[in-house]
Amino acid sequence: MSTQDNTTDDTTDFGFERVKKEEKAGRVREVFDSVASQYDLMNDLMSGGLHRLWKRFTIELSSVRPGQTVLDIAGGTGDLAAKFSNLVGKDGNVILSDINAAMLSVGRDRLIDKGALNNISVVQADAQFLPFEDNSIDCITIAFGLRNVTDKAKALASMNRVLKPGGRLLVLEFSKPVSPLLSKIYDAYSFSALPAMGKIIANDADSYRYLAESIRKHPDQETLLEMVEDAGFVDCRYHNMTGGIVAVHRGIKG
Amino acid sequence: MEHDPAVIAGVCLVAEKAIMRAVDLSVGTRNQLQRLHPLTVGVNCSSPSVDMYLTIDAEGAVSVASYREEAATVSLAGSWKDFVGVAAADDPASALINGNIQISGDTAPLLRLQTVLADLDIDWEAPLTEALGSVAGHQLANVIRAFTRTSKSTHQRLKRQLSEFILEEGRLSPPQAEQNAFFSAVDDLVLRVDRADSRLKRIKKRLAGLSG
Repeated sequence: MSTQDNTTDDTTDFGFERVKKEEKAGRVREVFDSVASQYDLMNDLMSGGLHRLWKRFTIELSSVRPGQTVLDIAGGTGDLAAKFSNLVGKDGNVILSDINAAMLSVGRDRLIDKGALNNISVVQADAQFLPFEDNSIDCITIAFGLRNVTDKAKALASMNRVLKPGGRLLVLEFSKPVSPLLSKIYDAYSFSALPAMGKIIANDADSYRYLAESIRKHPDQETLLEMVEDAGFVDCRYHNMTGGIVAVHRGIKG
Repeated sequence: MEHDPAVIAGVCLVAEKAIMRAVDLSVGTRNQLQRLHPLTVGVNCSSPSVDMYLTIDAEGAVSVASYREEAATVSLAGSWKDFVGVAAADDPASALINGNIQISGDTAPLLRLQTVLADLDIDWEAPLTEALGSVAGHQLANVIRAFTRTSKSTHQRLKRQLSEFILEEGRLSPPQAEQNAFFSAVDDLVLRVDRADSRLKRIKKRLAGLSG
């Protein structure tokens, strides 16, 4: 059996490589262990600061209100969680979750430095097996994390399970540029400049090569939209940003 | 044409940072904004097609967003030219009400917000002192204050003198009282013409009835 994200019964993508399903989480962990300390700096350099605008629009789409519970999956260094913390206020709750302990540790330290831990819980969890009660979360965000998940369909189903009816899912992820010219420029940038920057800043070209490869293997806008719908979400739509380099998908739990 | 949400988010971010910087540098403005909470002003620009929502939270902080699902307290809809016209007007409140911008919702907090913004008195001394040190920063702030005061009074004086020249010296425009009397006479004439017109229609109708 094969799903829309190129996952078969026993193998899945790890960048351009095919690896056994049980190996992928460990390989992804190695990548993020390596980049955790320089993650935010590299994001700023690689995207020219645009990742802040992509995340800002995602937060606007969330329409989160005071008192709500927000789960930020693959929340890494906690930048979305810090913003949600202000929006939900003292009566709300934000759960910062990531499969990678090194990323969570950097995130927790950043949140402590910002004094934003009052309404934030930090949970190490796999997106495919979310350790939360059914119908308990108002909003789930996963920013630049879904492409690293071994079985995306399983993760989306798990998110659907824990969301309250009417709750919303927002998937912010690299996608497919809409213009062929932009696509060529973007390819050249991803496969030459990105690993070079990774080598200079984080002394790790391979991890950044994986990031570029994993972006290419990630489902495009329409395929991901279908996957979100297949997971049981309704009123699904997506917004392209920066010419489709990034897209944010939204689904509501029916 | 749909705009890239990241570009609009960038515009919102810059606007929000600029507003908050101005608010923080103007003594007392934050408290005045706090009293306006909860307030969301929606700006729906039709050409180019851009929506922006300015929200004031309980701490008096202003946030600017491009997307909102809940209804705004008050919404303003118009073209980019209409909004520029209001911003550049001598009396923005009057230009807003009498211009082409469509207003829906509760306008009272909008007028209060306009008053708060009109009273904005930015003190540049703190950021200048931070950047240049206390002596140079203080001196430069004094220069800016003096320049602002002078340019404000020069602008007012010029406006008054220009108005006097147009009225008295050049006789290019009639005095305000004369204009008002003329406008009243025109209004009165319009009413009389309307009355005469309806009387004529009535007579025509009666004549048609008699001949039929």
